[in-house]
Amino acid sequence: MRVFQALAIGFCGLALTACATTPPTPEMVANRDPYETINRDTLKFNGKIDRYFVIPTVALYFVLVPEGGRRAVHHFLENLTLPTTFVNDMLQGELKRGGQTTARFLVNTTIGLGGFLDPASKMKIPDHGEDFGQTLAVWGMDEGPYLVLPFFGPSNPRDAFGIAADVGLDPTTYIHFKQHIWWDLGREYFTILDLRAQTFQTVQNIQRSSVDYYASLRSLYRQLRENEIRNGRAPKTQDLPDF
Amino acid sequence: MRFSPIPRRAVLAMAVTLASGLALTSPALAANPAEDFVQENIHKGLEILNNKGLAAEQRRTQFESFLLGLTDMKRIADFTLGQYRRSASPADVAAFEVAFQNYAVAVYQSYFAKYAGQTLKVTGSQARTPDDFIVATQLIDPNDNSGQQPLEVDFRVRTDSGKPVVVDFSVAGIWLALEERDQFTAFLGQNNGNVRTLIAHLSDLAKQFRTG
Repeated sequence: MRVFQALAIGFCGLALTACATTPPTPEMVANRDPYETINRDTLKFNGKIDRYFVIPTVALYFVLVPEGGRRAVHHFLENLTLPTTFVNDMLQGELKRGGQTTARFLVNTTIGLGGFLDPASKMKIPDHGEDFGQTLAVWGMDEGPYLVLPFFGPSNPRDAFGIAADVGLDPTTYIHFKQHIWWDLGREYFTILDLRAQTFQTVQNIQRSSVDYYASLRSLYRQLRENEIRNGRAPKTQDLPDF
Repeated sequence: MRFSPIPRRAVLAMAVTLASGLALTSPALAANPAEDFVQENIHKGLEILNNKGLAAEQRRTQFESFLLGLTDMKRIADFTLGQYRRSASPADVAAFEVAFQNYAVAVYQSYFAKYAGQTLKVTGSQARTPDDFIVATQLIDPNDNSGQQPLEVDFRVRTDSGKPVVVDFSVAGIWLALEERDQFTAFLGQNNGNVRTLIAHLSDLAKQFRTG
């Protein structure tokens, strides 16, 4: 299943390239978004999946699982991502952050009852995310053109490759036990539920206040990724535009 | 799989960007005029947000006055037009500045109540030029016992007009005016650069927010 995920990303990228027959306008090129036309269509497609499948499921999740249960699921899923985060910390030479990731994983997996609780945060062990897209950026790779991937949302070639590579970096990919496909499917399913449950109201607010939702997401995604790549460190002020 | 119409951190950051209950703790001594400005003036926002004696309409009016006194809306509006600022007629630019102000105030007001009670602590600043500062702060929720790190909120303060003004602010690295410029120029690109269409759209959005 995780391998399928990696293949799906690759397929999406190829399909996007093949379908992008509309020549980009100079504005699209200037915005580093030469596939804007197809990206906008993909965003609409993702919106339909969200509206007709994801949101109803999230509504059911809210009805069936109380807040404490949803919080526990969130902590558990976050804990599962820490081994991948640690590998990327190391690949970026971030030893201190790698130590924090290890400490969080050990504390939450043991005292936190397999990750369902988050005593590490109470112990002020900082939390952060890392992925292979960020690692590639730290290594100097350019992000490339903006992409909206079917099912996966805002991305770019570097980050799309990073998603696929993270599957390979995740130690749980190599744990094969009886009926592990159900474990994989369950994990992905609850990851979607958790993500959408946490962001439901905020996404609605952004949709409501946006003049151009697509452009808003593109800007948010790029700015956020840059901040993540800097690991929250102050940006070079010279990079900011003049007012 | 990572199905995500928008990444989680982005939406959380954007929510706070749109809604930050502009408030400030009693911080340590400020190091420059921009820090002083953020420290002293945004504290007034805290008082408005946390004043339980105000009726909703009073709070709205006071917050609007506070916001307009703190920021240079005309300058922000002109910035958000991007390259279309040069080709637009002076009359359209003037009308856009008014529409942008109404939109910005309506959007911020619709959210700010959720973040009332939170505080900002000044943590430092950088000078981009002698009259262009980035003041770093942290958003602190006194009721948050999760142990999570506070969000970083930066204010961009210009002092070149004699009086310090906020021209942009960012939450978790997302600059709001930059994001608005990206939206508006994309919208104009889709609408033949017609600023009046954008003005009409902004006015509709502002109305929707005001009527709840």
